[in-house]
Amino acid sequence: MTAADLSFLPEKLRTQLGEIGHADILMGIPSYNNARTIGHVVRAVQAGLARHFPHQRAVLLNSDGGSTDGTPQVVQEASAPSHDTILARHPLRPVHRIVTPYHGLPGKGSALRTVFGAAVALSAKACAVVDADLRSITPEWVELLLQPVLANGFDFIAPLYHRHKYDGTITNSIVYPLTRALYGVRVRQPIGGDFGFSGRLAHHYLEHDVWFSDVARFGIDIWMTTTAITGGFRIGQAFLGAKIHDAKDPSVDLSAMLAQVTGSVFALMEEHAARWATVRGSNPVPVFGFEYAVGLEPVRVNLGRMLERFRGAVRELEEILSLALAKDTWHAVRQLAARGDDHFTYPPELWVRTVYDFAAAHHHRSLHRDLLLRALTPLYLGRTAAFVIQMEHADAAEVEAALEELCLAFERDKPYLVHRWKNREDPP
Amino acid sequence: MTTRFSDRLLDSLASFFEALLRFLPALAAAILIFCLGLLAGWVLRRLVTHFLRVTRFDRACDGAGVLQLLARADIRTPPSVLVGRGAFWLVFASFTMAAMAALQVSFIDQLVAEFFLYLPRVLSALLVVLAGFLLGGFLARAALLTAANAGLPSPRLLALVVKLLVSVIALAMALEQLRIATSIVLAAFIIAFGSVMLGLALAFGLGGREVARRLLERHLEQPANQDSDNLSHL
Repeated sequence: MTAADLSFLPEKLRTQLGEIGHADILMGIPSYNNARTIGHVVRAVQAGLARHFPHQRAVLLNSDGGSTDGTPQVVQEASAPSHDTILARHPLRPVHRIVTPYHGLPGKGSALRTVFGAAVALSAKACAVVDADLRSITPEWVELLLQPVLANGFDFIAPLYHRHKYDGTITNSIVYPLTRALYGVRVRQPIGGDFGFSGRLAHHYLEHDVWFSDVARFGIDIWMTTTAITGGFRIGQAFLGAKIHDAKDPSVDLSAMLAQVTGSVFALMEEHAARWATVRGSNPVPVFGFEYAVGLEPVRVNLGRMLERFRGAVRELEEILSLALAKDTWHAVRQLAARGDDHFTYPPELWVRTVYDFAAAHHHRSLHRDLLLRALTPLYLGRTAAFVIQMEHADAAEVEAALEELCLAFERDKPYLVHRWKNREDPP
Repeated sequence: MTTRFSDRLLDSLASFFEALLRFLPALAAAILIFCLGLLAGWVLRRLVTHFLRVTRFDRACDGAGVLQLLARADIRTPPSVLVGRGAFWLVFASFTMAAMAALQVSFIDQLVAEFFLYLPRVLSALLVVLAGFLLGGFLARAALLTAANAGLPSPRLLALVVKLLVSVIALAMALEQLRIATSIVLAAFIIAFGSVMLGLALAFGLGGREVARRLLERHLEQPANQDSDNLSHL
């Protein structure tokens, strides 16, 4: 392993890390204006470290993007849980707490680069990062994300959550099935945001020159997962229960979010084209933790508006969608738009073709990439509406079965993607 | 008398042949330059077309909507070939002017000088039109997508308006570059642009008052109602 260049770390942070010297565990919390929730996250992490890793030297690093709501102060002042609260039998070893701004492009990627740098500087054996907006984090998350790395030799632990059947639809309908079909690894929450990883993997992450690209701004989660898979690292999953986080900023529109996520996945497809083109089928990933049912907050869905956007786009965006989709796919999508609400469906096979056509169009630059990615939004809404209609009375097991069927459709039709990737023209 | 006449005739013929002899090398040079222009234009056309094909210019034009627009004008020639032809004519026209200058005829000299002085303006005007066309196409598509994704009424009309506005601005800038009736073009542009804006304002304010009210109400109510989606997509 070559020595990593850590000059990107702020000087004050380097001094602090130098004073600490070595740590077994590094917990990273990237933040930006999370004063409302980060106190709870810090307390949960401290309790988890004290309860499950009392003998390990641990450092908690808050990598902040210049919050103006007092987030760093909340981190500094969040009181460590009392001895009785965390039921520890051993004397508590104080956790070093560092709050630092990060250098580079503003975004979660730059924040995590600082965490990776600190992990390397401290020669940490195991690291974990958790989002600062979590409301459902418990001390057990710390153990579940770190223990497989420390005790079982895993390099990357992805989260596994129980979510409402209508939640995480971008993950369920695009990111998970596509990542699984591409790389042959069943990581259920590839953009979950809360990960455990080894010091070795942190070092590997730092060796990539991606820190002034979109990875630094918003594509870090899928990049971490994909890089761990393609790097041949040992991957596991940890069941963390429910994921409930602070309400998102309503000004962040769906179209931009979808474009960011799919753009990141498609960009990684370019990078690893030689690798995924030959992969067929997929393999399960070991799961740590005890799976249990959790109570979930109800989710309201405006079905009428989704269908209205889908039909409106099919009517108005012919010029763009006919460039992005193959002729057959476009024809089938137009037929869907003519169906009534009660009989509306977006079959998995057609959705697979839609996603694959967009990936190929992105690769061949059939259209300006930003416009292309935004054009996926109404089709995604159509697919989501169809999923909501189909799953209205389904329980969690039935929903997972439907998602499994979708994933298998992605895997079965992969030769089509490979063909479209190599040939700009429609298949014969 | 006869001697005088023959002398004059001979003098005239002598001066004619003298002028012809002076002119012939210039004519030969002009023909040579003209032929060189043909050759240089042909070579450049091949080079430009090949370079554009290698750099996938046609695909980029396809993506930018240029092909569709050409198809509407019943032009089926690939853009790389069209640009190659443009390069040919530019070089050929320049060499033709140089050939004419080689003839050393005073009014042609003046014409050639004016041509070469005007050429940069023609080129910059062409660039402005091309940039305006590409930008208009991109912005129109961006407007179309944004409007369709936001569920706004008549996205295609909005896209058309955006495209027209950008094209009109580009055309006015190009004409200004060419110095074709600068003041009239500028005045016409200001009047036309102002009229469109005023017309839109009046149409929206008077004719579409009710529509505007409904739109604003819907827009302002949305944050509270957002129609109750609390789906977490990620």
